Amino acid sequence: MLIKFTLNNKPVTVEAPADITLSVLLRDYLKMTGTKEACEVGECGSCSVILDGELVNSCLVAAPSVMGREVTSIEGIHDADGSPNDLQRNFIAKGAVQCGYCIPGMVMASEALLAKKAEPTREEIRIALAGNLCRCTGYMQIVDAIETTAEERTKNGTNLKRENRSQ
Amino acid sequence: MTEYKYIGKPAQRVDALDKVMGKTKYVGDMSLPGMLYARTLRSDQPHARIKRLDVSPALKVPGVIAVITSDDFANHGNFGFPISDHYMLAYEKVRHVGEGIASVAAETPEAAIEGVNAIIYELEPLPAVLDMDHALDPDAPQVGPDRTDRKHPNFIGHFPVYKGNPQDKLAECDVVSDHQYETVMQEHAYLETEGGLAIPTAEGGVTVYLSCQSPFIPKGHLCSTLNLPDDRVRIIVPPVGGTFGGKDDLNYQTAGQVAALALKSGRPVRMTFSREESIIASYKRGAMRMKIRLGADKDGTLRACEFKSTYDSGAYSSQSPFSSWRASIHAMGAYRYDDCSVDINTVYSNTSYAGAYRGFGNTEVCSGIEQAIDEMADALKIDPIEFRLKNCLKVGDITPHGQMLDESVGLTDCLLKVRKMSDWNRKRDEFANKSDGDKRRGIGVAALFHGTSLGAEGVDEASSTIEIHEDNLITLTSGLTDYGTGARTVYTLVAAEILGVDPSRILVHNPDTNTAIDSGPTVASRTTMLGGNAVRIAVLNLIQNIDWAAADYLQCDLHQIHRDGENYIGPSEEPIPWESVVQHARDMGLVLSAHGRWTAPEIDWDEEKGTGTPYFAYHFGAQVAEVEVDLKTGLTDVKGIWAVHDLGKVIFPQGAYGQLYGGISHGLGYALYEDLDFQDGFAQNVNFDTYLIPTAVDMPEIQGGFVEAAFSKGPFGAKNIAEPSMVPTAPAILNAIANATGRRIRKLPANLERVMLGKTLAKKGSAESCKISLKIT
Repeated sequence: MLIKFTLNNKPVTVEAPADITLSVLLRDYLKMTGTKEACEVGECGSCSVILDGELVNSCLVAAPSVMGREVTSIEGIHDADGSPNDLQRNFIAKGAVQCGYCIPGMVMASEALLAKKAEPTREEIRIALAGNLCRCTGYMQIVDAIETTAEERTKNGTNLKRENRSQ
Repeated sequence: MTEYKYIGKPAQRVDALDKVMGKTKYVGDMSLPGMLYARTLRSDQPHARIKRLDVSPALKVPGVIAVITSDDFANHGNFGFPISDHYMLAYEKVRHVGEGIASVAAETPEAAIEGVNAIIYELEPLPAVLDMDHALDPDAPQVGPDRTDRKHPNFIGHFPVYKGNPQDKLAECDVVSDHQYETVMQEHAYLETEGGLAIPTAEGGVTVYLSCQSPFIPKGHLCSTLNLPDDRVRIIVPPVGGTFGGKDDLNYQTAGQVAALALKSGRPVRMTFSREESIIASYKRGAMRMKIRLGADKDGTLRACEFKSTYDSGAYSSQSPFSSWRASIHAMGAYRYDDCSVDINTVYSNTSYAGAYRGFGNTEVCSGIEQAIDEMADALKIDPIEFRLKNCLKVGDITPHGQMLDESVGLTDCLLKVRKMSDWNRKRDEFANKSDGDKRRGIGVAALFHGTSLGAEGVDEASSTIEIHEDNLITLTSGLTDYGTGARTVYTLVAAEILGVDPSRILVHNPDTNTAIDSGPTVASRTTMLGGNAVRIAVLNLIQNIDWAAADYLQCDLHQIHRDGENYIGPSEEPIPWESVVQHARDMGLVLSAHGRWTAPEIDWDEEKGTGTPYFAYHFGAQVAEVEVDLKTGLTDVKGIWAVHDLGKVIFPQGAYGQLYGGISHGLGYALYEDLDFQDGFAQNVNFDTYLIPTAVDMPEIQGGFVEAAFSKGPFGAKNIAEPSMVPTAPAILNAIANATGRRIRKLPANLERVMLGKTLAKKGSAESCKISLKIT
């Protein structure tokens, strides 16, 4: 079937079977491999994307159900010139990245949180990340990166502004 | 103290940018035109004879291009070190659920699955060894290979440490503690599952992109099992999504399977595992049963330790002979004893199989001995940190193995620092006086020592190469892999410091067996010390030529030159850019590449007498955990962890803290819920919905600290951190639970029922979820 939707602010039309998940659609049919698969049962969050403003596990979303909707994947998170955005720069600066496999999902979960809550506490950040497993970092430096980004966005008055985080 | 420019200073990981952008390509993200997809038929029996195996129906499935079995390998695909008991695909027998039997390559993943399901096979069940305590019974079913030395075929090895006669000494001690401790299997749970991509080469060989730790090992296996000469097999390590010890043996089989399929089909072949397949087929941290007797005087002086243990290696020996040896060396903890004995017996069974996992034997024994030490402190009514301070190893001490510790022993400082950081004394008093209500607080400590690198397990050296290219880019190779640890950043900082150039000029390649030099396995937290030293020596060999060029350019003697940033400055005081000096070296015809090799100090171990010098240096550390236990539900909430480790000079602080926090998360899971439970050989939890690992909510805020007791032979004085970071976490949490509840849990994990009821509930297991997951449809 033809699946039409908006991916990272661009219209996309793709021919794909009706019985695949959004994660397979992104990875195998659109060759956008930034979205990872690590459990395929919705437990690990590696495949996190933002669907109409909500964080979802794309391994649990039927591909045809995104018809006409807006999807943001890790490939859509960057500054206007394609360089890393403030959150991604803070992931690097704070040492939030080790093997990196969970990181695209972590970035998506962080953006989904920061779009809804300007100044989350560390506890609130941890709760927002509870659906995203990381086996390398113990989460400390990931929480640091999100906390710092929230503080900076609040200071710069750029928090909760969608155009800042997704191009 | 030397002031460094890059060593120990803030730095950023060299591979983080691509990872945060989602651009990093792991094996499962790679594809090639015409690439085939592979799947493996896996055993649904814990122990069985392969009575019939007919793969011809698979070849009739549309889209299936090639199928292989053990017949497609030389010597049936036999491999394994130190014991060659393993096969690329099962030969004659299967010994655990999940063992590969045949592999199929097809045009699509769906056709590969259909091909696997079309294979006709019959497994004739054999009696299985499902309890390590019965592995060596005279009539136990044979799991291990045939042997000629009249020892039991299920016996893998005996690993002793002996000093004096602890049995006699224990009889003389004022206080003796005598308890049994038990650990269970732990799953590595790397987020990226196993995978490999094999590409047939023009000259009849094969190149494999393999998510693994030690590429030269599978290279050797492919040469021997596919009858290929050394120059026809190339293993490239792409970015690896975590391993923690777990991407050795099983993924060597993956390499063999995709390579054989690629050679047979003449096309690229990729295999990636589902999570269920990964958990069911992969090796684990092995289970261990320990009996520990400690003896001490009333004044709190430890006198004797007797440690007896059985370690379950499961169906294959894998790395268990080495991890059991490491366990034996660390079994008595980081303490002085007049007399000490350790006896570990390692056995085969049909419960999955055990291999390398972070801590490699020490994690297991530390969970036992550090509880035993706490129980002794309780019996003596001495504060647990005071008791450890009184008895722990210091510079000048002789260990129970007979090794004199002449430098870099920072344990006392670690204990003192962690006591202060955690506000131990106040909390210990406060919690002792609050015993009302359902929620109880407790605080516990555990200490560790951890031998650096391989020790007497094998030859211990590493090599590195460095080259300055025409565009002045500096490239480095190492035979050791950065699978998420930060090793490439460490190498970059070491090279930048010595060369006196900005780190951004340096690119460290991932290992490729065609360009890197075999440096032994990437295990045992040895990359910083071994790989870092190899880089250091390679750079020193290179910089000689650059220095000659600088002296020639500046028309002066070497000693008259100094550096200002990257610039070279001679007597004229005019700064000469690094590039100009490098160009001058080229003009002089000097070579701008070099090689460096570092060999670890020689050490020795007598396997019979149980004495010697097991490791050339040790990491030390101490962790404190604070818990709140809900007596009504048995829920343990870890409120805080304080961790102070002596890792020698810290080269990349942010990376070292990352290792520390990450290791603690593995330890927290090990303490509270991680239990890859096998019932009759079948895994009971096959995905993250039932095998729980810590989330961001489960992890407390961690306060880390470092004691930098420099090791003279480490690069800039560095030792290591990766494995030891997790080793003391579980016993610190268990000791905190005991402090909170007054009840001790001697079998890991301290899950709800053990904390609430003090016992393990009998469970009726089921093979169903395992069988359903294996029956891929």
